[in-house]
Amino acid sequence: MPPRLPALTAYCRVAPVVSAPFTAFLLPFMQARNASILGALSDTPGAYSKRIRRGRGPSSGKGKTSGRGQKGQKARGKVAPRFQGGQTPQEIVHGTRGFENHFSVEMSPINLDRIQSWIDQGRLDPSKPITLKELNDSRCLHGVKDGVKLLARGKEQLKTPINILVSRASAEAINAIEALGGKVTTRYYTATSIKRVLKGESESTFTPLPYAPGADGQSPLLAALSSSAQPFTYRLPDPTSRKDMEYYRDSAHRGYLSHLVEEGHGPSLFYKTPGTYTRRRSKKTGAAASAAGDNRVW
Amino acid sequence: MASKGLLSFTRSFNTLRAFNASTKDPLVQCLAPRLSRSMATEAPLPSNMSEAEHGYNSFSMPEDPNPSSTVITTIYSFPDMEPLRFEYYNDKHLHLPLRRDILHRAVVFEGDMTRQGTASTKTRHEVHGSHRKIRPQKGTGMARLGTKQSPMLRGGGKSFGPHPRDFATQLPRKIYDLAWRTALSYRYRKGQLIVCEDGMDFEHPEGEWATEVFEHNNWGKADGRSLIVTADKRENLFEALGKAPQNGRAITTWDVDVKDLLETGRVVIEKSALDDILREHQSDLIGKVRNAQ
Repeated sequence: MPPRLPALTAYCRVAPVVSAPFTAFLLPFMQARNASILGALSDTPGAYSKRIRRGRGPSSGKGKTSGRGQKGQKARGKVAPRFQGGQTPQEIVHGTRGFENHFSVEMSPINLDRIQSWIDQGRLDPSKPITLKELNDSRCLHGVKDGVKLLARGKEQLKTPINILVSRASAEAINAIEALGGKVTTRYYTATSIKRVLKGESESTFTPLPYAPGADGQSPLLAALSSSAQPFTYRLPDPTSRKDMEYYRDSAHRGYLSHLVEEGHGPSLFYKTPGTYTRRRSKKTGAAASAAGDNRVW
Repeated sequence: MASKGLLSFTRSFNTLRAFNASTKDPLVQCLAPRLSRSMATEAPLPSNMSEAEHGYNSFSMPEDPNPSSTVITTIYSFPDMEPLRFEYYNDKHLHLPLRRDILHRAVVFEGDMTRQGTASTKTRHEVHGSHRKIRPQKGTGMARLGTKQSPMLRGGGKSFGPHPRDFATQLPRKIYDLAWRTALSYRYRKGQLIVCEDGMDFEHPEGEWATEVFEHNNWGKADGRSLIVTADKRENLFEALGKAPQNGRAITTWDVDVKDLLETGRVVIEKSALDDILREHQSDLIGKVRNAQ
């Protein structure tokens, strides 16, 4: 049971109240109310337009025919938007041309002058690697579509060496950055992995997943998982289609898989590098050759 | 005319004050009758008490960072409401002009956002049952009828009934933030914003206790109830007001919205809660540029 309150009341100070209004002497005759301001709020009359109430009598101005005119299909119901009064509709006359390529990727472009401007404003830190997450967080990019392509517009304005990780990079942009002593790396991103990178669930790493098994034959993925106490929930995937693998194996693109290409080899997984293999001769010897000779029809 | 005269008098009074160095003292500013600005926590001194008894001279006086663009508030202890010290606030935080249109838009925005939008009815296609023709087309002497689900029939579907939807509307962030500070400024100008020291709580979770405190401070039902805002949930305070809801409501910073700030007779708020609200709702004052971490 709490102590009775007179003691508390005695030593309490009274909370501040608004000083008594001039009309205090009228109070016994007035009804004192604490009216909330909520009832007196309204938007500026010019800021909104009143809804037109159709079909609510002649004095409303939109009464009898509700602004739909006299008789006919438009007065009664609706007319299909493609209907042109009986004339053959445009989409039938001209048909549809072209197609939508479901496999195309739409890259968000980022140019060198914009990056330099962000660095000058202090919105990007050039001493740290610049990845998709930094670009998006600093609003240098307003969202990332299927990836980020680094382009060279305003390359002469770039003054700061940067270490940047993007999906693709143009040759000019690579040259401009490396001329200043910077570094460009391109890596593979999927739509899901971009989402996770931007949410901070994945690390925007320069290195691919480990491929080669460890010395004890343990799975390299499990070894990497156990060794790294990272706060990230997901790892980034590596490309599986030949086209993507070839792009990131190419050192001309500064691909993050280019270290996997052997010395003197090309990035292609289809064409072999000239001079790195010997043509197999179909020179058969002995009984096999004679048997083949015997089987000849003519 | 009368208000104009008062205004000019107030201006001249302000210039007079600016030249008089002794009146720049915040204590004197607080205790002097303030004609230009109503102070949120203006309290007339009881006539039978002197300043020394109150110990006002021991107040810590923070330096006014920018006298032209700050307003002053008193920080009280809770629940004994002893004035502890003064704090300065930016006048863009607590001294904005009243904008009824902005407040209206914020309150409507919140109301729209709060609507459940779960009303749901079945159309004639969703009502369960057979679509058999319920009586022959001709020969019965009665009206032609098709299926039982017709909206015309009892037990049939609802023709243009409600379906679940989202009533939420959009309001630009900067306007909403301005509305928050406008609401707090309105309270401040009316002297209805009472800022208390952090750690507001009651000793006992009793409704009678709350009623005594509220009535003693003229915060209770007769004075239009009060809103208590704290940074986090305080068990005794929240339970006591839950038992005596006629006195007012206690909510946390997380739960409070613009309409709550405008509803009751006054707002009693913890200093850290007020600072949190002001920090969260100043997007129209600070630039959007995020710096590199």
